[in-house]
Amino acid sequence: MDSGKVKFFLGEVLRNFSRNTGMQATAIGTVAITIVLLGLFMFARAELAKLGATLLDQIEVSAYLRPDATPAQVAAVGRVLAQDPRVATAQFVSKRQGLAELRERTKGTIDTGLLTENPLPDKFRIKVRDPDDVAAVAANVRRLAGINNVVYGQKIVQRLLQLGAVLRRVSVGVIAVFFVVAGIIISNTIRLTVFARRREIAIMQLVGATNTYIRLPFICEGLLAGLIGALLAVGLLAIARATLLPRLLEALPWAQLTAAPLDTRVLAGELILVGAAIGIAASWVSVGRHLRT
Amino acid sequence: MISLRGVSLVYPNGVRAIDNVSLEIAKGEFVFLVGHSGTGKSSLLRLLYREAKSTGGEITVDGIRVDRLRRNRIPALRRHLGVVFQDFKLLSDKTVWENVAFAMQVTGAHTRDVMRQVPRVLDLVGLSHKSRMYPSELSGGEQQRTAIARALVNNPKILLCDEPTGNLDPTNTTEITALLQRINLKGTTVVVATHNQAVVDRMRRRVVRLDDGRITADEERGYYYLGLGQGQVLSG
Repeated sequence: MDSGKVKFFLGEVLRNFSRNTGMQATAIGTVAITIVLLGLFMFARAELAKLGATLLDQIEVSAYLRPDATPAQVAAVGRVLAQDPRVATAQFVSKRQGLAELRERTKGTIDTGLLTENPLPDKFRIKVRDPDDVAAVAANVRRLAGINNVVYGQKIVQRLLQLGAVLRRVSVGVIAVFFVVAGIIISNTIRLTVFARRREIAIMQLVGATNTYIRLPFICEGLLAGLIGALLAVGLLAIARATLLPRLLEALPWAQLTAAPLDTRVLAGELILVGAAIGIAASWVSVGRHLRT
Repeated sequence: MISLRGVSLVYPNGVRAIDNVSLEIAKGEFVFLVGHSGTGKSSLLRLLYREAKSTGGEITVDGIRVDRLRRNRIPALRRHLGVVFQDFKLLSDKTVWENVAFAMQVTGAHTRDVMRQVPRVLDLVGLSHKSRMYPSELSGGEQQRTAIARALVNNPKILLCDEPTGNLDPTNTTEITALLQRINLKGTTVVVATHNQAVVDRMRRRVVRLDDGRITADEERGYYYLGLGQGQVLSG
């Protein structure tokens, strides 16, 4: 590639980019707003997902043993749980331990000293790796000999799982809408710059420039606008994160928000890529429309 | 060099711009296309550089079957042709040099070829001394000479001119027609669509007359108006 060609090409791109400042500002602003919204949305989604995960994490399955369960049956239940890959931990809690924990938990409210005998059964306290498996693990344990009853927060778990599924679907939809809206606005902006340069395009076509060659500067402009917009947005998000988030955490302590649910560098990279992609796609479409006529 | 056989062009709205036209133009010829406004002169030229697509007949330009040309081959055709218009179509934010070089740069020419070729055509059209000026600083004739330089910079075998003197005063018109003649003498086939009677009658070159999209006269060494020339050949 000879350097004169590169210089001419880059010169054309920069010249056009700086000439249509107003329009470029519109495109850049649109990209920036879209990506700020997208970033906020992804942050909110990550927070919600983490909140749900925290709640689900706290869920445990209690498998109560029959009073007449033999030691062999207890050992068999322990083996089944140990071999189940879905089970994270399974802890045997004897009735004495159970009573001690109950005393600890109810200290000062109920006088357990009044009890003449221990009313609690032995149990297994089970934690599951994936909240989705809670119901299946519980059902499996319930079938075993020596098990009297299995208890977990059935309704809460179900609700949370449903909510998670709905949120995932909604978020895919919302992100898609963001993309379409940003794409339409940017492609309209670039159509204006294409229109402003229709004479130039007509001359290029007249002297036999290929469509790819005519397209290339516009694609570069779109890319540039997308990148600048995305960088602006990432900068704004970073500032918001540094200044607003601590106050938000203070104001909403019950929400148990924490500041590090996302790998921010990965997110920033993704958002910048999104900006570049929007810019390229929008300019490709709008120049293509012009070239076909 | 240029061959049309039974060519027609019917626009989607039903207007028949070109109606069963057959025409042969040999290499190195100088041909005037004459006729009133709206008789199809521009349409005929547009068919040759595939700005319009014929709806019937065969068109061959420099060995390329233009009527059958695929879209992505159109740029290759246009590199064989130079086209000049009444309104010059120059870029106002580029100098004379840049306007001419533009035609090479956007078709991927090497910088050293640009540096060699641009001064040559600017010298041919007599604008070497104004290469750093902008179109707004030039007279109409100089602007048209810039446009001609741009049309010639890629060494086309054919130069198509659509009313090249339509916006020019008589002095500039004479200047441009003399330039076109010089270009023709160097071997380039030149086709000029015009309704400027004075130019046609002074030059005494081949004249093809169009009326309502049909060829009604084709004379060697002709005049603008039918029947005044010698060796009249009717076809159409």
